[in-house]
Amino acid sequence: MEAQSTSLNYLPIIFQLLVALGFVVFTMTLTHLIGPKRKTADKLVAFESGIKSIGNARQPFSIKYFLVAILFVLFDVEVIFMYPWAVNFREFGLNGLIEMFIFMGTLLLGFIYIIKKRALDWD
Amino acid sequence: MILVWLILILMGGGLLAFMLGQWNKSLPRWIALFTLFAGFLGLLSLWIEQYRFTNTWLVNYKTEWIPSFGITFHLAIDGLSLILLTLTFFIGILSILSSWSDIRDRVGFYHFNLLWILAGISGVFMAMDLFLFYFFWEVMLIPMYFLIGIWGSENRVYAAYKFFIFTQASGLLMLLAILGLYFIHGNNTGTFTYNYFELLGTVIPEGTANWLIAGFLIAFIVKLPLIPFHSWLPDAHSEAPTAGSLILAALLLKTGAYGIMRFALPLFPQAAINFAPWLMLLGVLGIIYGAILAYAQTDLKRLVAYTSVSHMGFVVVGIFAFSELALQGVVMQLITHAISTGALFVIAGILKERLHTRDISAMGGFWQQMPKLGVLSMVFTMASLGLPGLGNFIAELLILLGAFRSNLWITIFATAGLVFSAIYSLRIMQKVFFGPKAGSAPISDLNWRELSILTSLTIVIIWLGVYPQPVIHTAKPMVKYIENIFSGDASAVKNNKLLYQMKTAEQPNKKETYVSK
Amino acid sequence: MSASDFYALSPLLLLAGSSVLIMLLIAVRLSHRIIQISSLLLFAISLYSTVFTADILPYRIPPLLIFDGFSSFITALIIFSSLVVNILSYVYFDEKEESPKEYYVLLFLCTLGSCVLAISNHFVSLFLGLEILTVGLYALIAYLRGRNHSIEAGVKYLVLAAFSSAFLLFGMALIYLETGTMNFSEIGERLRTVDNIPVIFITGLGMMLVGVGFKLAIFPFHMWTADIYQGSPAPVTAFIATASKGGMFAVLFRFFASIQGFNFPEIITILSVVAIASMLVGNLLALRQNNVKRILAYSSIAHFGYLFVAFIPRNAISLEAISFYLLSYFITTLTAFGIVTLLSVRETDAEDIGRYKALFWQHPILACVLTASMLSLAGIPLTAGFIGKFYVLAAGLQGGFWLLAIILVLSSVIGLYYYLRIITIMFSKEEHAEIIEKKAHPGFYVASSAALVILTFVILLLGIYPDAVIKLLGGFSMS
Repeated sequence: MEAQSTSLNYLPIIFQLLVALGFVVFTMTLTHLIGPKRKTADKLVAFESGIKSIGNARQPFSIKYFLVAILFVLFDVEVIFMYPWAVNFREFGLNGLIEMFIFMGTLLLGFIYIIKKRALDWD
Repeated sequence: MILVWLILILMGGGLLAFMLGQWNKSLPRWIALFTLFAGFLGLLSLWIEQYRFTNTWLVNYKTEWIPSFGITFHLAIDGLSLILLTLTFFIGILSILSSWSDIRDRVGFYHFNLLWILAGISGVFMAMDLFLFYFFWEVMLIPMYFLIGIWGSENRVYAAYKFFIFTQASGLLMLLAILGLYFIHGNNTGTFTYNYFELLGTVIPEGTANWLIAGFLIAFIVKLPLIPFHSWLPDAHSEAPTAGSLILAALLLKTGAYGIMRFALPLFPQAAINFAPWLMLLGVLGIIYGAILAYAQTDLKRLVAYTSVSHMGFVVVGIFAFSELALQGVVMQLITHAISTGALFVIAGILKERLHTRDISAMGGFWQQMPKLGVLSMVFTMASLGLPGLGNFIAELLILLGAFRSNLWITIFATAGLVFSAIYSLRIMQKVFFGPKAGSAPISDLNWRELSILTSLTIVIIWLGVYPQPVIHTAKPMVKYIENIFSGDASAVKNNKLLYQMKTAEQPNKKETYVSK
Repeated sequence: MSASDFYALSPLLLLAGSSVLIMLLIAVRLSHRIIQISSLLLFAISLYSTVFTADILPYRIPPLLIFDGFSSFITALIIFSSLVVNILSYVYFDEKEESPKEYYVLLFLCTLGSCVLAISNHFVSLFLGLEILTVGLYALIAYLRGRNHSIEAGVKYLVLAAFSSAFLLFGMALIYLETGTMNFSEIGERLRTVDNIPVIFITGLGMMLVGVGFKLAIFPFHMWTADIYQGSPAPVTAFIATASKGGMFAVLFRFFASIQGFNFPEIITILSVVAIASMLVGNLLALRQNNVKRILAYSSIAHFGYLFVAFIPRNAISLEAISFYLLSYFITTLTAFGIVTLLSVRETDAEDIGRYKALFWQHPILACVLTASMLSLAGIPLTAGFIGKFYVLAAGLQGGFWLLAIILVLSSVIGLYYYLRIITIMFSKEEHAEIIEKKAHPGFYVASSAALVILTFVILLLGIYPDAVIKLLGGFSMS
């Protein structure tokens, strides 16, 4: 290390942290203090697109929604790895291509597993 | 090799008894008996042999065990070990006989434990490698724990725990001391070894030596036991089955005394001198305290247990007098106490089997119904109070004579302890065999098995009282050696160490040819 | 990556590949039996590959990974533990769970994570291994989701593990801030150039210790242990107690050896306090428990305290001592949990101590196995635990840490009480009314019992003739 980094160099970060925190605290306190407060019954009910809310929010719903959503996230996120790989494709060369194929192959195996387990069947 | 065989046949016999016990209930008894007889005969041959050689070490066996640590499997016996080993096998046989009809369930496992305790004890008397010594020291604990915990009487679990935790805790402290000695010796000389003969005469700073000997002594005086570490003993003795009490009193306690004589004194002579007055004081306190408490007991086994505390006080006083006379007395005391107290436990067991109680107040006037038991009990109570003509007299006399020169006041109080022992001994006879007759149920006298146990013990105790010379002769080299350490100048230790080494070095060839013959 | 890199990594690659393979086998709907047997085979192959690849040691894959005798040994130990857990799992899960198969995939992944820890030489690989291990464990702990304790344990572990990971990361960040590198040996080099240990560094180290201490369940981060041991399925508990801790301990040891933390009195003090408190707290808390799994949980706290007695001096024999102790402790613990597993029934695990009453007279073999393992945990001669404890004491005393050694001795006397208690109960005379007869799978039951008997023989062998293993360990070095 040519320039020995000391804790002093990180002072700006602490300042930034303090400013960010300070801003939140400052504005929240200020609005709380100077804002007018008029509480009516209508204002305290849960707001749902202008219509009256029906039933309890904690209703059971089909686990399928959750399953599909989580699977989507799983496979979707893998794409993130492909952007930096694509950008550097030339440097990686053939090896990179093989590696990506292995990666995709593993994903594909996972996908086969999901289909075979009938995780995507709706009934 | 005979030494290895002694241990192997005990362990092997134990395993065999365990396995065959599944099919046949009486087979384990015979196996155990046979095993012990075989070992006993082997030892007797060594007795005859020892008169042909004048060497200190009779048999020596050494082989590598864990060379990475400098641990060897080193067994050797001298006179002292031989005496105690013989005692071990003798008492072992009697303990099998004494529980012959007593134990009816899980016979195989019972005899397994019994034989493994004996194997551990034999190992302790033979091990000449400190690691090996500790190993055997611990091996005898677990089976003893089972013996008390499974076949004991009502309060057995508590007693077993107490016994185990006392002895294990003190044993671990000894392990620390052993390790300390190991590293000090290793750093001094560059050779890391647990070999007893090499560790002798290690130069240790005095402060450290005091700590190390304390580690050793704590393990030994808990086993002995010396007050204030005696509290496990009455519980363990009274709850254990007859054979367990017999082994505890006759053998387990002796390992403590043996350990002090073999290891604590020669390894740390100067520190031993520092500790001697205090230990003698504790010994005398033990003599008197044990005797008084023995008198106060109503439980027959507890009573006998407290007499052990008292008798073992004599052992400590004798050891720390550092004179040949007293040490000979100590060796005698170890044997005679084993015989007399062991016999008293057997008698208590016989009474318990018939009456289903150990409470003295429920006994009395048994002389008419059980004259044979009465006569034999008389012999052993008299032995316990030190009647001339019986072995205990010789032992206590020698100890007191030896201690007289080194510490007058201690000796005077110890002698006073003898008076107390007369009181409690006579109380046993008075309460159990004389006085008004308790209960009306008819009680049978001894059967052949019980009779043979007690008769053989009687023969031994009278023989020791009349002609103790074989024991004294056999123990002489070791006793002389200890006296030399403490009477001569500091170089005596060094010289003796060399003497020992030379003798062991020349010994094996001669001995091995004899053994293999 | 070169071919020799792949060669060195082959145990880990095999583990990773196995998890995918098993996943595919599940996808084609093979039976539980086939899945179990094939995963057993795969474990055996990867175990063999650790032995097979030992010829290229020491080997480095800079900057992340390092292969030397120690890491190889720990890797083998971890895979071996998982293999035993795998054997025990069939009977246990087959009667409890309708889909027990994914369990094996998770087991492979957790093993992989733990192995990565054992070979890592860099913060990144440390964290990577830790997360692979931990994420798998979340699911494993809560695998029997029908049970109340299971979910509780899973959630507890999730929250606490996430929390401790955060600490670990923050600690790493602080150390990186101070030294500018995340490689262990480079950190060590940087540290050698300074006279006094910087405050930020020691803070970071403390925070890392929080994260690592949580995984190892040492004082004062031991609170979760008993609940999670109790709530997890018995084979998973065995895994947590052995494989998951082994990797973490190895990486901790490597890190401290690299930075030569043993030269800094502050670090020695911190670790000594942790060690002493762990030994005492573990043994004391175990005294009043009536649940065998909880007893073993507290005893594990104490045992890792013992390990620190060999860890702190960092002298010639502490590496051997730690390796031997881990070996003996793992085998012993696996045996103990193996018995718990075999005695478990569909509804509950055999965790209540009353379940063991008079066990000796019903199942003499199982009782003897459990007795041997209890004695080994207590450190009684003739068992591996004794040699292990002896080794640790020797390492501690050679470094002159008398206080630690004495505390070890005293606390292990406390420990004796509860080990003996289990033994006493097994040998007690009262006949147990209900004799629960196994089992749907006599073949697997016998195989599991046989495995435990073999392990017991290993415990005895290590206790009676440890020299061969000691020689093997003596050849190890840590580069």
